[in-house]
Amino acid sequence: MIDTRELLKKFEPAKDAKIITADPQVRSARFSPCGKLLVAGGFDGRVRRWNVADEATLELPALEGHHAWIDGVAFRQEGELLFTADSWGQLCCWGSYAAEKPDVNWRLEAAHDGWIRDVAVSPNGQRIASCGSDQLVKIWSIADGGKQAEIAAGRDVLRVLWMPDGSLLTGDDRGFVKHWKDDGSLIRQFDAAPLYTLSRLQDVGGVHALAIDREGKLLAAGGTIPKNGATVTGPPTIFLFDVATGEQKHKLSLGADSDCYVADIHFHDEGFLSVVTYGTPGAGQLLYVLPEEGKPFFTRKMSNLHSISWHPDGKRLAVVATNPGSNGNGRPLDKEGNYVGNKSPIHVFGVSG
Amino acid sequence: MNYSHLCTPTDHVLSRRAILGAAGAIGLGSLLAPTRAAELQKKHKQVLFIWIDGGMSQLESWDPKPNTVFGGPFRAIATSVPGIHVSELLPRSAKIMQHLAIIRSVHTQDNSHSAGVARIQRGDPKNRGVTYPYFGSAVAKLLGPGDSGLPPYVWIKPGSSGFIHQDAGFLGPKFGAVAFGDGKPPENLVLHESLKPEEDDERNTLRQAANARYARGRRKQMGEATSYVYDVARTLMKWQDLFDTSKFDPRDVERYGTHEIGRHMLQARKMLEAGVTFVKVNSYGWDTHGDNFNGHLSLMPKFDQAFAAIVQDLADRSMLDNVLVIAMSEFGRTPRINGHIGRDHWPEAWSVVMAGSGLKRGLVVGETNDKGTFVKGDEHDIGALFHTWFAALGIDSKTVEYDNGGQPLPIAHEGMQAVKELLA
Amino acid sequence: MRLPALRLVAAGTLLLLVGSGSARAEDLAPLHARIDQFITAGAGGPVAGQASDAEFCRRVYLDLAGRIPSLEETRAFLADGDADKRAKLIDRLLASEDHVRRMSQALHVMLMERLGDHAEWQKFLHQSVRANEPWDRIVREILNPNPDDEATRGSALWFTKRLENYGQNPVDIPGLVRDVGRHFLGIDVQCCQCHDHLFVEEYKQEYYQGLFAFVGNTSIRQDVKFPAVGQKPLEKKVEFQSVFVQKPKAVGPKLPGGAEIEIPTFAKGEEFEQQPDKKTRFPGTLKFDTLKLLAEQLPRPDNRPFTRNIANRLWWLVMGRGLVEPLDLGHAGNPPSHPELLDLLAYELAAHQFDMRWLIREIALSQAYQRSSAAADDAAATVPGAKYVVALEKQLASEQLLASIRQALGDGKPLAIDVADKSWTEWQVKFDKALANPPREPEVGHNPTVKAALFFMNDATLLAWIKPEGANLAARLLKQADGAALADELYLSVLSRPPSDEEKAEVASFLAARTDRREKAVTNLIWSLLASNEFCVNH
Repeated sequence: MIDTRELLKKFEPAKDAKIITADPQVRSARFSPCGKLLVAGGFDGRVRRWNVADEATLELPALEGHHAWIDGVAFRQEGELLFTADSWGQLCCWGSYAAEKPDVNWRLEAAHDGWIRDVAVSPNGQRIASCGSDQLVKIWSIADGGKQAEIAAGRDVLRVLWMPDGSLLTGDDRGFVKHWKDDGSLIRQFDAAPLYTLSRLQDVGGVHALAIDREGKLLAAGGTIPKNGATVTGPPTIFLFDVATGEQKHKLSLGADSDCYVADIHFHDEGFLSVVTYGTPGAGQLLYVLPEEGKPFFTRKMSNLHSISWHPDGKRLAVVATNPGSNGNGRPLDKEGNYVGNKSPIHVFGVSG
Repeated sequence: MNYSHLCTPTDHVLSRRAILGAAGAIGLGSLLAPTRAAELQKKHKQVLFIWIDGGMSQLESWDPKPNTVFGGPFRAIATSVPGIHVSELLPRSAKIMQHLAIIRSVHTQDNSHSAGVARIQRGDPKNRGVTYPYFGSAVAKLLGPGDSGLPPYVWIKPGSSGFIHQDAGFLGPKFGAVAFGDGKPPENLVLHESLKPEEDDERNTLRQAANARYARGRRKQMGEATSYVYDVARTLMKWQDLFDTSKFDPRDVERYGTHEIGRHMLQARKMLEAGVTFVKVNSYGWDTHGDNFNGHLSLMPKFDQAFAAIVQDLADRSMLDNVLVIAMSEFGRTPRINGHIGRDHWPEAWSVVMAGSGLKRGLVVGETNDKGTFVKGDEHDIGALFHTWFAALGIDSKTVEYDNGGQPLPIAHEGMQAVKELLA
Repeated sequence: MRLPALRLVAAGTLLLLVGSGSARAEDLAPLHARIDQFITAGAGGPVAGQASDAEFCRRVYLDLAGRIPSLEETRAFLADGDADKRAKLIDRLLASEDHVRRMSQALHVMLMERLGDHAEWQKFLHQSVRANEPWDRIVREILNPNPDDEATRGSALWFTKRLENYGQNPVDIPGLVRDVGRHFLGIDVQCCQCHDHLFVEEYKQEYYQGLFAFVGNTSIRQDVKFPAVGQKPLEKKVEFQSVFVQKPKAVGPKLPGGAEIEIPTFAKGEEFEQQPDKKTRFPGTLKFDTLKLLAEQLPRPDNRPFTRNIANRLWWLVMGRGLVEPLDLGHAGNPPSHPELLDLLAYELAAHQFDMRWLIREIALSQAYQRSSAAADDAAATVPGAKYVVALEKQLASEQLLASIRQALGDGKPLAIDVADKSWTEWQVKFDKALANPPREPEVGHNPTVKAALFFMNDATLLAWIKPEGANLAARLLKQADGAALADELYLSVLSRPPSDEEKAEVASFLAARTDRREKAVTNLIWSLLASNEFCVNH
């Protein structure tokens, strides 16, 4: 039995955080495996980087060349490789990601037709998988960006990750998690269909967050149980499945209808899930929860959280939030009469112990 | 908490229901220039009014700003008209751009649904102390029902059927909408099996005779209203095939889409083919304050499919010259993306798409700035669009007026005019 | 909020002096005579004559018994030579079981506006009407339902239906607050918000927020099977902000025009008389019970909006138009058509302990009520209804139509109606679907619909009733060889009046030309009258 008090002693986030403000907004912020960088993909086609090795947390020059939204951010430590993917379908491999001006090792303008939702580097570091709204999962050689395989997933694929044995897990927009061999054959399907509904004309929900534990035995699929389309509401929910048998082991209901979506899940080595949610109109939670317990043992309310990343040294975590008051109909102008967008304050918390 | 422009002192003197139901309502709202009616009847114009309730995002549809700070994740695509681009979410509409006219410079006043929907559909005229009719009721009044005998203002909507007299404002309940829930026929539409059509005629003749006797010495309104609904009912009974979905061509059903808006749009085409003057189709659920991009990714293709299908079909049937097509919401959506990945309400700068009768084809009028935040150049409020649409239907909105019991009223906002660049 | 009682009595006396010579305050004429004086004074011209016996008989049966008179009852009334027969009929109907049903239905439609129904609610309404419970008591039981009284606890349905959430919409508390104002005070507090040219901004918001403080903490009790309301403690004033002046304000429970009630402070856990129980989900009972306070403060004779509202609604029920129209929109900018009359009715009703049956009787005895609804000429037909120069045509509720159609097509004897009967319930559901308004649309005016027309034309059940069977109308008519006698029985059964000579001749010739399909011809004749305007309204 895991003692949550012990976990809190070790991992509770400090009250205060170092706040890095990303303007304009970003969604996924990830620490590099070497621990030197925090990299985030933004809404403006630029990859943002911050040096987190020292207190100053200075920003390095943004990486250009992408378009629109960058949702996919992944790394390979060897070679200091950074992979970024955008909503126009471009997949890019950068070398020496911590340098002032990293090289572009290779760039695929049309890796997908349209929105690449997620990317993941294989355990052996040789391949990278990408998935997107074109309903395809593609596997590329990291060395040269050559396409190695393609899986017709049949649905908009929101998340992809690799199992330790080189097989793949995907989460789609209908609430199904699928386990694939890399040759495209389906091993098993996990039914988290309550994460989806058809409301009037709109398909709502899906697997917005996907994570596996270190051994690859338990998988967590997160999203919401959508009550309606348009302004989506519903309780943030995670289903946990036994990977080997497909059996649903737990269902975690993590908030009220206004708390809406689980955006990101991290499976900590010590067995708990750290989860971030965002809801309406400014709701957001950072949660720690043990799968078998159902209710979080730690909750911090913050404003609209979108991703969580733990520093490889285990002593820090970064959570992407949104400025409060980000909603509003009509015309809110600043003092100079300009129309301003929202920002993403990235909170970097130290953890106790 | 909104100030409602609809609740005025006159409403209390006559009572809202009296205005809509009794007190001389039928007979009110007549045209001041009756000779026009004859001219209008010559080429019976019709309207297809597609109401996208909740606020379609102009940035995810007709006025994309790809790869800008507020532009969102989607790309823009070329259309059949060189120089015009729309969101990648509208591939089929892009292919028929040559039929369409987009106005991107719309700036309206209300950012709320509760008041905004009605204000837009009433043309937001100057406050004259009366409840103005919705566009459908106005057209029903100004153009009449045509030869079909079908109700002039038909509304195909999800949910329940009914007779929506409130739409008619001061014009009176006769110009309300006959609503078909989910496009289905109203209950009891089929003549009862025990009756032959001539027997139905016989009993209704007797009924009308009884009503005529009763009407002596009585106020006219009740009798007229009842006669009207019976006439509509009997006409609908003759047009049963309009509702018999088993008679729809399965290729049409597939082309329009089996989803809600597809089915309703196909139903709308049937109504237009049958000669209904004004057909309104509603789609609900577009108010994407949250998850706007996944939302539009799901919603837009369905709208696109149904919209492109009907415009193409109208063109193929040589109906586009006589049918004015409009697709719009009560406002657009904010460029600013909020914390739950949504867009909020934005009446400041948004778009409306049109096609058909009296309009130029294959063009964009008006523009927004680079970021899509505000209109660049001339702005156009809904009053200007009403003037434009009336002109497109051959109605001179500067001279034609309503007569509300002796009170002349403009049919569109008197301080505005038509957008000339849109008119053929 | 004290009524200026002396001033009213003096006004009444003044009018009498003007009208009839001399009278002392103690010799005031009965209310129905005073009603006529006001109406006549306001008519501004000639008024229609009295309704014929047939017209009156049908009208008063529909108003007081909720159905048309049977063939037998019509014939009996027309043949009765008693000079007092109208007053006696009124009294007979008010004492009848039909009246209990009719008044329960009228209250149900008024108070629930088709939001829903429940056997407990019907029990509450029926027993209240049968016992002629005064209106203020009925309102007290609605505003503060007593779960321990089996006879009245169903009154809670008024709350519980409004506390349900529909689909994904949250519970509509603003709608609930609004309905408190509309139904019991004749004030639509939500609509007040538009009239910033009539009210000071703060007042109108305060009307809403003050009422909200009374009922905003209610919820549906989950621990009992019958409709019941629970309350959470009201701990502090309701905060609100003026839209135009960004100034925060707060108000406790307060009736429009009334005094604000202080909210006591309790230590945590001390707010309850009976503690809530998490296991059973019993919400507890409160020491500071705002519903109890609302029920004490609102339905009082010195609460002017309260008394005027019920007087106005009862007037509307039998006269077809409120003195204040719409019924829920009473305010300074919307005066009554006959201000002193409304004051008088309100005063007298309060003075008679809110005895609704008494007021209805008085109105029914007036000449204004008993006026014909047909004008002498077309010009007179265009005079505004508010002048009551002719009696106003009234919409028939779906309940009245069902009962009347069954009555018309039956065996000619008075119907014994059992609303709990399974068939009757099914028929009522069907009639409601075709003829009643959607929920929350008050049934206060003539609103013909395509749906209703199609129902009359093609509904299988309705058409089956018209076909000859047993001793029903069609069967009896088919036995009538004589065209004139047939016309008589037909018109008296369906339209509750004898046919004119013109009508007799037309029926006879119609049938004579259709001897080969007599049954069809007869059923068509019956249908044409049933579907006619004359049948479908209360004139």
